[in-house]
Amino acid sequence: MARSWDKAAVVLCMDVGLAMSNSFPDEESPFELAKKVMTMFVQRQVFAENKDEVALVLFGTDGTENALAAGDQYQNITVHRHLMCPDFDLLEDIESKIQPGSQQADLLDALIVCMDLIQEETLGKKFEKRHIEVFTDLSSPFSRDQLDIIIHNLKKSGISLQFFLPFPIGKQGGTGDRGDGSLLSDHHGPSFPPKGITEQQKEGIQMVKKVMMSLEGEDGLEEIYSFSEALRQLCVFKKTERRSMPWSCQLTIGSNLSIKIVAYKSITQEKVKKCWTVVDARTLKKEAIQKETVYCLNDDDETEVSKEDTIQGFRYGSDIIPFSKVDEEQMKYKSEGKCFSVLGFCRSSQVHMKYFMGNQVLKVFAAKDDEAAAVALSSLIHALDELDMVAVVRYVYNEKTNPQVGVAFPLIKDAYECLVYIQLPFMEDLRQYMFPSLKNNRKCTPTEAQLSAVDALIDSMSLVQKDEEEGTIEDLFPTSKIPNPQFQRLFQVGSVNPAENFRVLVRQKKATFEEASHQLINHIEQFLDTNETLYFMKSMDCIKAFREEAIQFSEEQRFNNFLKALRDKVEVKQLNHFWEIVVHDGVTLITKDEAPGSSVTTEEAKKFLAPKENANADSAAAFEEGGDVDDLLELI
Amino acid sequence: MSSNNMSGWESYYKNEGDEEEEQEEGLEAGGDYSYSGRDSLIFLVDASRAMFESQDEDELTPFDMSIQCIRSVYTNKIISSNRDLLAVVFYGTKKDKNSVNFKNIYVLQELDNPGVKRVQELDKFKGQEGKKYFEDQIGHGSDYSLSEVLWVCANLFSDVQFKMSHKRIMLFTNEDDPHGDDSAKASRARTKAGDLRDTGIFLDLMHLKKRGGFDTSLFYRDVIIAENEDIGIHFEESSKLEDLLRKVRAKETRKRVLSRLKLKLNKDVTLTVGIYNMVQKAYRPPPVRLYRETNEPVKTKTRTFNVNTGSLLLPSDTKRSQTYSHRQIVLEKEETEELKRFDEPGFILIGFKPLMMLKKHHYLRHSLFVYPEESLINGSSTLFSALLTKCLEKEVMAVCRYTPRRNSPPCFVALVPQEEELDDQKIQVAPPGFQLVFLPYADDKRKVPFTEKVMANPEQVDKMKAIVQKLRFKYRSDSFENPVLQQHFRNMEALALDLMEPEQAVDLTLPKTEVMDKRLGSLVDEFKELVYPPDYNPEGKVTKRKKGRKEGMTCSPRMIRSLE
Repeated sequence: MARSWDKAAVVLCMDVGLAMSNSFPDEESPFELAKKVMTMFVQRQVFAENKDEVALVLFGTDGTENALAAGDQYQNITVHRHLMCPDFDLLEDIESKIQPGSQQADLLDALIVCMDLIQEETLGKKFEKRHIEVFTDLSSPFSRDQLDIIIHNLKKSGISLQFFLPFPIGKQGGTGDRGDGSLLSDHHGPSFPPKGITEQQKEGIQMVKKVMMSLEGEDGLEEIYSFSEALRQLCVFKKTERRSMPWSCQLTIGSNLSIKIVAYKSITQEKVKKCWTVVDARTLKKEAIQKETVYCLNDDDETEVSKEDTIQGFRYGSDIIPFSKVDEEQMKYKSEGKCFSVLGFCRSSQVHMKYFMGNQVLKVFAAKDDEAAAVALSSLIHALDELDMVAVVRYVYNEKTNPQVGVAFPLIKDAYECLVYIQLPFMEDLRQYMFPSLKNNRKCTPTEAQLSAVDALIDSMSLVQKDEEEGTIEDLFPTSKIPNPQFQRLFQVGSVNPAENFRVLVRQKKATFEEASHQLINHIEQFLDTNETLYFMKSMDCIKAFREEAIQFSEEQRFNNFLKALRDKVEVKQLNHFWEIVVHDGVTLITKDEAPGSSVTTEEAKKFLAPKENANADSAAAFEEGGDVDDLLELI
Repeated sequence: MSSNNMSGWESYYKNEGDEEEEQEEGLEAGGDYSYSGRDSLIFLVDASRAMFESQDEDELTPFDMSIQCIRSVYTNKIISSNRDLLAVVFYGTKKDKNSVNFKNIYVLQELDNPGVKRVQELDKFKGQEGKKYFEDQIGHGSDYSLSEVLWVCANLFSDVQFKMSHKRIMLFTNEDDPHGDDSAKASRARTKAGDLRDTGIFLDLMHLKKRGGFDTSLFYRDVIIAENEDIGIHFEESSKLEDLLRKVRAKETRKRVLSRLKLKLNKDVTLTVGIYNMVQKAYRPPPVRLYRETNEPVKTKTRTFNVNTGSLLLPSDTKRSQTYSHRQIVLEKEETEELKRFDEPGFILIGFKPLMMLKKHHYLRHSLFVYPEESLINGSSTLFSALLTKCLEKEVMAVCRYTPRRNSPPCFVALVPQEEELDDQKIQVAPPGFQLVFLPYADDKRKVPFTEKVMANPEQVDKMKAIVQKLRFKYRSDSFENPVLQQHFRNMEALALDLMEPEQAVDLTLPKTEVMDKRLGSLVDEFKELVYPPDYNPEGKVTKRKKGRKEGMTCSPRMIRSLE
């Protein structure tokens, strides 16, 4: 769906300078990681088929090619591609054309080139958003003296920024929720300051933080990502978020009290918009196909009648009542235009979540730049919060739409406060089903043993980590930070449930065992690279599936080689936490008891999981230089 | 707001009827009629003299209560499920009217769709006038046999040509011992009730107020044996129309299971559950096309043909195509379906989180209800019950990956435990089970440009608290009727009955401003004095400081350079 009002101009600004290619021997370089993140972003853009335009600016290039370059100014900065719709060519460029440079360039100079590009190339075009995404390791020196002017101009021209760095920066605080427990903090991966960074990089981090804080306040820090974070959450790209349009209205309480408000959709289900067109199977053209609807009487001949000879009617029970469009228009309910009117207030416990309906959540703020309205709304928000009450309101979007009754409840965060509006059902929307009681029913009363088994299950499958000292609870599986796999499906099939896919592949012989296991190992690698517990679990599923199928298909040697290589790799990469899971789950080499082709004894298999010094050191030696995906594969 | 902005919002409203969405919603709207057949319900009303006596001057008679209650079911059915079949049978009458010529049984309406004429007929029996009308037209009899009454009802069901999914009789009476002096009759009635049960006809007792109390142990306990699905739901006798209505509603809306699915706790432990829809947006029914000459409905046929050859195309003559950045991707229809396939339908448990981590403002779409389904895996109810008990006790919810159907992408859901709740009438107001709450993906969340936080001071907050307290009310989920639907059906009714003017539906969604103003008194002015500057007009148009794009654009980086 083309939405001109939602069009964005995005500049990808990538550091290709000397240091970007440096990495620890077993790790991908920041250069490669940045390319991966950009590829994902552009893929999404290509498949989203919107009107957004994307440019690519490289800095640290050996050559110089930009509009601002003059004398020794703005050197080693190359505008690789001007603002235009992203396509497969851009993907291919990122994949193979971009090469690491041997120079260094000033990040702030590069930013100015990007800003200039946006302003020059969006002239006369309508873009709702202007955005720069910076990929850098911050190791090149920059000159600070223009910083304030840059910030001033970014603000003024409404250009937003995001940074992608090879390491996480320490993010503290963020936006704590008061409404739903200020003790909660979402898990963002390691939040310790990055190790082994240079003084220059430290200075860079301070600068980046300063820029983001000045642009967006505390929230700005949320827009600084590490590459691994970005790879996990495709959705971090500000750009791909739908922009919500403001809806201005007055919140009224009775006829004499109104507060100027503005509301935005904050949650609404995103669906894959693009639908399939029907084309002729031979010509693959849609123009050749036409659909036609005909009306016919319910007689034996199915006599056709023209549309003009038909009128509109409605069923009313057993009766069918002719009701022309004109009559309908005249007699139907008419709302009196937009409104957000309080009908009354009630205890928040009376409006249970199970009654929420509709397909959106609105956040209601005071009108912009209106301090009086802000104070008035703040009074209401805090009054409701302190009384543990909510407002029940009539909401009409405009005179053409139907009225709703909904709930407005307070949401108070560090950075902002608002009312949250969600629709409630009408009497006609409710179904009062009754169900047999589960208590006092002999047939389904669980035994004490069953109850304690379930109790243990709940404890063993907790998705939170409690820190008794700090009194905080950490969410290990924040679902609302996970992107919808359906959006990725179109260009990345297979990583959603790799273990299951693997099983299907080998069992249905859709791929050779070798091919299928290579795919699987790649997935395992990717999961481990995220260094996150959730993905460790996914890896474990894969490994277990691999093991089971290997026994089935007499491919035990392949699995054993893999597991040995994995153990060493885990050691090099210091994924001890992951290995503990492997040991805990007792996933070891396939023994000759399990598969005749194996030469491993049960004793050896046991030893394999034991602490390192007892284990066979042979294969480890080969990995002292540090292994990689390819090494793992080669062994098999 | 520019017209561009408007279209953004409007497109959402237009999307409400999106074809694809409609299809999906249709599947979820609560069971598919074509498979299950029609629900049928007979209202069996005792018309003996005692039913027409009220104990209090301003109290409705039990008969009047029954009629009003039936009428309300009729009008509701017209709106919600007009394919269902309803009938009204009186017994204990003087006149008789039934296919087997039994005495004292009067079939007022046979099983058919509810319609305007039937509602009008019922209206004739309302109130004092209705009583007189009854006595003139039908009259009270001195005797009846319940076994014969049930026989007549059974005949009504068997006369129906449609496939019926559910057959139910609701018996309205205030006589707790109908055949106290005739044990042979009583025994025949018991046998007949048993026969009905065996043929899949449910019999419910809607017992009404009787002086001295209605004693079910005298006769009805043996006749009305609670069916399996109703275990544990026993009502008190009704003395108020409101109570009776709730009981009738609870029984007449048959539970339709959306789907039966597996809930995988881990690799080895699986139970089966049924998914139910307890809230579902009710829409105006779609219009039908009628032939102008006769007002008979016409059929619509859609066909696909090739423009060049004029020949009709079969589904196999077409493929599906999408274009991405100038590259055409062509798939078979089946393949496009497969693109959406991820997991087998069902729930996969991921783990547990404390209940307090559920965010109210992360609402995505209306929740569903989950209840055990014993029919597929034995022991499901027991395991489910254990899970529910422990989740309630430990105040946790289960986070699952939920795949509703084959070819539908998975989503994260929270299973929130819900304890059974009964009201003082022992009517279940919350069933035991899990609320299935949909959790948003990152893609579903939008960043909104928030307004700078300006905090109110305690004095201002306190004043607002006083206002809030003045306007307190008790929210009930069924407090508000949909004014759009109500008006539509009033219009239909007026046209069907040839009324000059349709009755205007009361719009309950409008604020009762007069009452509110009166209650608030001077509080509003006091509050405004505290928060609004003297010349401030919250209704007035904002005189926007022109913050045009021009201004933002004038200072270009080139100028920055020139500043250096």
